[in-house]
Amino acid sequence: MDPNTAGWALVAALLLPVAGAVAMLLIPAEADRTIRRFAVVVTGVAFALVAALTAAFDYGRSGELQFVTDVPWIPAIDARFHLGIDGISLPLFFLSFLLPFLSAIYTTKHLPEPGKPKAFLGLMLLLQTGMAGTFVAFDLILFFIFFELVLVPMFFMIGMWGGPRRDYASVKFFLYTLFGSIFMLVSFLAVYFQSGLRSWDIVELSQAAGIGSVTFQTWAFLGMFLGFAIKVPMWPFHTWLPDAHTEAPTVGSVLLAGVLLKIGTYGFIRIALPILPDGALRFAPVLGVLAVIGIVYGSLCCLAQTDVKRLIAFSSVGHMGFVMLGIAAMNEAGIQAALFGNIAHGVITGMLFFLAGSLHERYHTRDIAVIGGGMLMKIPRYGVLLTYVAVASLGLPGLAGFWGEFGAMWAAISPGLGLSDTYGGLYLGLVVFAAIGTVLTAGYFLWMLQRVNLGRPSEKWAAAELDDVMRVEWVAWAPLLLLILALGVFPRLVFGVQDAAVTALLRSMGG
Amino acid sequence: MESVLALAWLVPVLPLASAAVVAATGKRLPWGGAEVGILSVGAALALSAAIAWETFTNPGETLERAFAWSPLGGGFVLELGMLVDGLTAMMFLLVTLVSLMVHVYSRGYMEGEARFTYYYAMLSLFTFSMLLLVISNNTLQAVVGWELVGLCSFLLIGFYWEEKSNQDAANKAFLTTKFGDVGLIVGVIVLSAGMLGLSDTPFNFGETIDAAVSGELATGTIVLGMLLIFVGCISKSGQMPLHVWLPDAMAGPTPVSALIHAATMVTAGVFLLARLFPVLAQSALVMGVIAVVGILTLFFGGLLALVQDDIKKILAYSTISQLGYMVAAIGVGGYTASIFHLFTHGFFKALLFLGAGSLIHAVHSNDISAMGGLRRPMPVTFWTFTIGSLALAGFPMTAGFFSKDEILVSGDLWALNGFATGTYVYWVGIAAAFVTTFYMARAWFLIFTGEHRGAPHAADAHGGHGADHDAQADAHADAHHAAPNESGRWMLVPLVVLAVLSLTAGLIGSPFLQDEPNFEAWTATEVIEGTTYPFLAEYAAGAGVVAAEKGPSAKILHGPPTWHLDLLGIVLAAFAGAVLLAWRLYGKGLPDEDPTLRMGPLSRALVAKYGFDAAGYRYVVVPVRDRLSAWATRVSNDVIDGVVGGTGAAAKRLAGVTYATVDQGIIDGGVNGAAFSAAWWSARLRRIQSGDVQRYAGALVAGVVLLVLAFVAIR
Repeated sequence: MDPNTAGWALVAALLLPVAGAVAMLLIPAEADRTIRRFAVVVTGVAFALVAALTAAFDYGRSGELQFVTDVPWIPAIDARFHLGIDGISLPLFFLSFLLPFLSAIYTTKHLPEPGKPKAFLGLMLLLQTGMAGTFVAFDLILFFIFFELVLVPMFFMIGMWGGPRRDYASVKFFLYTLFGSIFMLVSFLAVYFQSGLRSWDIVELSQAAGIGSVTFQTWAFLGMFLGFAIKVPMWPFHTWLPDAHTEAPTVGSVLLAGVLLKIGTYGFIRIALPILPDGALRFAPVLGVLAVIGIVYGSLCCLAQTDVKRLIAFSSVGHMGFVMLGIAAMNEAGIQAALFGNIAHGVITGMLFFLAGSLHERYHTRDIAVIGGGMLMKIPRYGVLLTYVAVASLGLPGLAGFWGEFGAMWAAISPGLGLSDTYGGLYLGLVVFAAIGTVLTAGYFLWMLQRVNLGRPSEKWAAAELDDVMRVEWVAWAPLLLLILALGVFPRLVFGVQDAAVTALLRSMGG
Repeated sequence: MESVLALAWLVPVLPLASAAVVAATGKRLPWGGAEVGILSVGAALALSAAIAWETFTNPGETLERAFAWSPLGGGFVLELGMLVDGLTAMMFLLVTLVSLMVHVYSRGYMEGEARFTYYYAMLSLFTFSMLLLVISNNTLQAVVGWELVGLCSFLLIGFYWEEKSNQDAANKAFLTTKFGDVGLIVGVIVLSAGMLGLSDTPFNFGETIDAAVSGELATGTIVLGMLLIFVGCISKSGQMPLHVWLPDAMAGPTPVSALIHAATMVTAGVFLLARLFPVLAQSALVMGVIAVVGILTLFFGGLLALVQDDIKKILAYSTISQLGYMVAAIGVGGYTASIFHLFTHGFFKALLFLGAGSLIHAVHSNDISAMGGLRRPMPVTFWTFTIGSLALAGFPMTAGFFSKDEILVSGDLWALNGFATGTYVYWVGIAAAFVTTFYMARAWFLIFTGEHRGAPHAADAHGGHGADHDAQADAHADAHHAAPNESGRWMLVPLVVLAVLSLTAGLIGSPFLQDEPNFEAWTATEVIEGTTYPFLAEYAAGAGVVAAEKGPSAKILHGPPTWHLDLLGIVLAAFAGAVLLAWRLYGKGLPDEDPTLRMGPLSRALVAKYGFDAAGYRYVVVPVRDRLSAWATRVSNDVIDGVVGGTGAAAKRLAGVTYATVDQGIIDGGVNGAAFSAAWWSARLRRIQSGDVQRYAGALVAGVVLLVLAFVAIR
């Protein structure tokens, strides 16, 4: 596969899941096991293709687009079908093929009421194409379509396979995101008309840097901000997230945390920053302040949660706060850290949601007080995994969570593009509060572990037969568990891939 | 041939490999993984000894190797590297030696424990983490080691995680140190931010130190960065007021207390201060703050040991106090003295803890009031513990004597430069030495002399939760157990080795070794030798005291140690006085009411631990955990989500109103209205068509009349 010419590979990888979903329609709904296996095969083949693509990727030129397809699509409105992948996209693209594969494996054993694997897995495949597409689309219209495409399957996944309040949660998720995306679309339109390039091309618009006046950019950035900040979600636009996560089925939560949230931060980095650098610069302190509020506030909320899954959901608010702090730093180190934090959060929190799902499978509750401790004694392997992933999530060095958090704080101390001259003191304060957030994070995770894992099992569970980690779970989880360690020990795996791409991005912003 | 220093990377890697092998295969090995741990740490010790010898005999020999671990963005590079000099070699030797002793000792002490293999994996992992910190050539790698050390500490404090008190102790340790790490991390960030324009590897120790010494690093950066890093040291090295986790950490198995909470991990803060000494030496303010914290800790931390009956807590508070000496020494320019004390303290404190473990093993209690008369049944423990106590008390010619005196002398020299902190270190240090001797003598008399009391204390004032789990369980199992016996060989050999070191390790830094190589030359780096205190000239001259050039202390190194007979006299008098006092009070067995509890308000303050623990819980933990968190959740659920929900509801209501009023009422009303009015009129008009001819005729006439009238009117 030659990265210069093999654009087909990217298109094929992108379309495989949808094709699989269509093919799945042909299988009769009663063939439950066949359907589940078929989904594993489809996602597995797609993942293998992406793995091959990752291997063929030219890391010496990770700053440039590779595997490009760029053809006219809707000439009437100048929209083009422009796909490509660079060092920024690659890790996220990889993740959006790994997690559905693992989810499909997991689903061979676990599927919540009302079953119906055909519908469930079909939606998941559709979702996969949507989310993977956002990371490789280089045309604003195409990006927008993928962005919106993601909503529908997730809406049905939460609405049909969700918990007791699924109707509320799914509608809230759908409408809230849609609400933001409208403003984003308006901004896209404004950029299109203001630029005068008659182009929706992200690369061209980025190179044009400085479309319109500062005022124009500020307003346009505001629109994109609403779209992406809701998706991230940034404080105070986060309230859909705990509801969606709490109600979503396990696989839905894994993909939501693992990939969907990343679309927001990716959008900031790929679209909002390079196309509207002046607007971004004006917004940066606001982003920073909201990010750090999110870190501290999200951690505080975690301390008050009684439901394990809701706690993990709120922890995302804090972790994504670190990602946004990196973006607010407006320098290379910050963008690097933000993207690293993205990947790390996807892997770690995705894994945490798997664990929360399996916890529910065993205890049939996620209430910390009802579980009442002693899990490490009852199902020791499972308890060890929970400890391991929680420790990774609280940012222990040597595991994946550390580099994004530390990097964001490190970058924010000396923000780029002249921000340090005007806002140096503010950013120092942000770093301090973000660091305090890490203590709170450690606090709620350790407290959770203490109440769930440690001690002796309560009477209620002492005699209960609970399965320790099952084989299918080992298979589905092992890649994530290994990645958590690998990314922690070799941060170069992500930093190195992104480096040239981030440099190129910042250069176009004039940094 | 390449120097042995090039192999230094193996020193941390060996225990790491051991941790992995033990975790993977330990349960299937005949000794449950202990053999792997002992062998690999033994190998690491052998290598460390070779490195120590190499650097000791060739003072100043340094090797720095690093490779780019990862790009960080903006062209900056994070290194994974090693910096091997005398300081590193000294720490290597200390850590691997104590670790090996603990590995060996635990083979006996932890025998029969359910999680024996896990324990050994953690011991090895801890050893690796500490060595990773020690070997690192940059601050960020040091942070990685530092935090991993904290994790291992957390896991081992909570080793007996069935009990809530142990879980709480582990959480307290992790969170308190993590709180300090806010300072460390922000401090490291601040320092490296100052280096951004100067280097591609902004975390590098050597480059940071060079930039600080040459004045390229802004003073503000140095002061802010070092003060913040010092906050990390306060929590890690048990300085007041963040020392509160250390006594609770005694919930872990006793060998762990020896390794982690006495000899090595808690020295991480002091080590980092030593590593960055030329940086902090640029600022009188930073040194002053460090000195004050150290002085307060060495004195008030030591006092707390007076009212403890738990042998491990006595030792824990003594650790806090001794760490205070080291930190204070850093603050008064006693670079060599500080790390020398770190070195000797590691041996005798490990010895004391392991000795305490031997005692606890024999009597199944941590409580010294349950001991007594143990001299005869446990002779080896008795003699080694006595040696350790003497070293801790600073009895002449023991290891602790030479290093503690060096600290006091450093204070004296600093005072010559016109800093009051120097004077305080000298006199408070002597006073604290008196206190140290007294509480160790108290413990010694109560443990070894008189009759064996043995009775388990039901109503222990300090709550027996610090007691080892196994000791507790055993005590419950057989309240009337057999007479205490000496421990087995696995435990005694380390005691003897450490006892020998407690007697002799001080000699390399003593006045007996005037010529190089000695301890000072060993641990001095080139920068340390060349650096002077830039603030000294103006400060000292301004204060109108001894001019800088008159005293020897303008330089960091004080030269070979000399005898100070005046100090020796004072120290001996203090020692004798303290032992005599302890003998009078405790020589005849346990008094009915402990005299240390009869000191009025002082006793009350000490028993309450000065209120730090309670205040921390009441004013930090509870408000954050219970109130702020609930408040934040309420804001999220009610206020923010209220806005979201309100927007949704408003949109819905607007839709309802739109539908009901505008759509159904006005628009559709218009449509319907048109239809409706047509029907109304048609109903009315229908009546006209009644088929009644007379009425038609009448209407016709009326119509004609109206038309005629209208016509006339218009005309």
